[in-house]
Amino acid sequence: MLDRTQLTRRRFLSNFAFASGAVATGVGSWVIPAPWANAAEAPIKVGIATDLTGPIAYAGNADANVAKMVIKEINAAGGLLGRPLELYIEDTASNESVAVGNVRKLIQRDKVDMVLGGITSSMRNAIKDPIVARGKTLYIYPQLYEGKECTPYLFCTGPTPAQQCDEFIPWLIKNGGKKFALPSANYVWPHTLNVYARKVIEQNGGEVVFEEYYPLDQVDFSATVNRIVSNKVDVVFNTVIPPGVGPFFKQLYEAGFLKNGGRLACVYYDENTLNINQAAEIEGLASCLDYFKVLTKENPFDAKIQAAYEKDFPGNFLFAAGSAATGTYRGLKLWEAAVKEAGKIDRESVAAALDHAKIAEGPGGPAEMVPGKRHCKMKMYTAVAKGGNYEIVARSNGLVDPKEC
Amino acid sequence: MANAFVAAFEILSFGAIIVLIVLGLGIIASMMGIFNFAQGEFVLLGAYITYLAYAKGLPIWAGMVAAPFVVGALGFALEALIIRRFYAAPIVAMLGTYALGLIIRESVRGLIGGFYLTVPEPIGGSIDIGAMHISAWRFTIIIITLLVMGLCYLLLSRTSFGLRVRATLENPSLARASGISTPLIYGATFAFGAALAGLAGALIVPVFSLFADLGLRFLIQGFVAVMVGGVGSFIGPVAGAGLIGTLSAALPWVMAPVVADVLVFVLAIVFIKFRPQGLIAGKGV
Repeated sequence: MLDRTQLTRRRFLSNFAFASGAVATGVGSWVIPAPWANAAEAPIKVGIATDLTGPIAYAGNADANVAKMVIKEINAAGGLLGRPLELYIEDTASNESVAVGNVRKLIQRDKVDMVLGGITSSMRNAIKDPIVARGKTLYIYPQLYEGKECTPYLFCTGPTPAQQCDEFIPWLIKNGGKKFALPSANYVWPHTLNVYARKVIEQNGGEVVFEEYYPLDQVDFSATVNRIVSNKVDVVFNTVIPPGVGPFFKQLYEAGFLKNGGRLACVYYDENTLNINQAAEIEGLASCLDYFKVLTKENPFDAKIQAAYEKDFPGNFLFAAGSAATGTYRGLKLWEAAVKEAGKIDRESVAAALDHAKIAEGPGGPAEMVPGKRHCKMKMYTAVAKGGNYEIVARSNGLVDPKEC
Repeated sequence: MANAFVAAFEILSFGAIIVLIVLGLGIIASMMGIFNFAQGEFVLLGAYITYLAYAKGLPIWAGMVAAPFVVGALGFALEALIIRRFYAAPIVAMLGTYALGLIIRESVRGLIGGFYLTVPEPIGGSIDIGAMHISAWRFTIIIITLLVMGLCYLLLSRTSFGLRVRATLENPSLARASGISTPLIYGATFAFGAALAGLAGALIVPVFSLFADLGLRFLIQGFVAVMVGGVGSFIGPVAGAGLIGTLSAALPWVMAPVVADVLVFVLAIVFIKFRPQGLIAGKGV
């Protein structure tokens, strides 16, 4: 008996040692070292903190892939300021407490010069303080979001409500009708986006018939569909998210909403979300984003990066706007431009240069930071789903202002 | 009038979906005395098998027919290898089945890459009655649920297999003394419960699309249904499922959906407080 307890304790200790070893070195950390070792100076360290596991892992893995692609490209062109780039990737795991720990590793152990990442707003809010305030590091947030993020040293490179609504909603009124319904998931992004969308709808002579919020895991929408059909709504401006969105669109389709000329609109819909429903159920769905894959047909630069991405990362993780992949590309290239201009890597100098950084080519076209606003002007495209693919039906004249901060 | 008919149909169809999901859970809970937390993942597996058939270009019907058999066989194997060791400790059984569920769920998540994938329904579109449109597939689900419910009832109440299952539940040692192989009966019951979950998954995947948390989504509702209905009989959990399903589909018609979501559970807790034995007390069919 004594023997057995000692054995157990020994086994416990060895397990414990293994576990603490794993914690110390970090499961879920990836380092892609600089390609040349005899550099005159140490490499510049780029940190990526994104959801490699968890429910939105498809987006996080795509973002990490984009970062690998961009860093490889910059290194192949001789690095930055004569120094190679080293990539540190940490998993935020769709779990804020895990994420804060892993981000601290990037800041304190790896001492990265910049962090890019976070997909959901709750993730951004959880990791921005460890990065920007306590970590004294530059932070770039790449995802489309609800706006109102005005923290110093935090730069946003995804579309804001103004960019997704200002041109899109007038198009919807012209190509759908005046009566809008705003069915929404009950969290911060739909609440804040709807405030802006309602303003634009009313300014353009439209009317919001109802705005309603649902629990995030609701999958039966019969009551909502009935309200939409019986109120003769023209445009469903949807912010319900998966898993609810698939059954919702299906129930709308089965209730004859599309047959009667109704228009679906959903501003996070990209190539990833096309597979949630059968093509007929979302025929005519309109989305407004900074990039669609169909642009590769007309824009040689988009064709080039899309081909480079698909060559390096064939598989399920798509280069798509809704998963922050385009925002990641844009963020890294703007940061590269800023570092080149600053000629140094300390936070103050890079932030000062990034404040007005520009790139002539990016996904969907050029992009530039709005000075003093830490948000990014970009081209916006309206696309409509036809037979399981998108067709571009409208595009902005020049770059659209984010109207934030 | 038309509106009321559509409302009644939609509420009934969601009730039928919950009943279908709870059937297997209820049979395992009532006839074996364990709460199977992996039941949601058996539903997920049924859905995944249907998706596989679709992705491989087979007819979707084939996937739907195969799902209960494959999941049932897996249930039989899991019972023999793992679940069997937990009968003496129901609490440990909950944890064990939860772990099992977690393994299945995360494996499926890996296999489908965390995406949400559509599976078309074998009978698509809607049935149009005048200006009303009702979903053809939801209508099919209601019919199949009624059939499966009836067959399960007959199996448990009218066949010699049903008699053995009930005998094993009531008094295992006497059952063994009468020449019934109780381990085999437990295995078969568990496999049957799992097969029902597989069937439920196969039938609901066209409605909700395939995603890793599909089963988890219905697990809590399923357990509340079993508690409200009463453990011990076949008909108890089914009645509970009908009640919880119709209630959670009906309440959003009359109040804010966010409130309705919580209210279902509050009502269930209040009900269990005043009637802890559930809607239908006692053992039997």
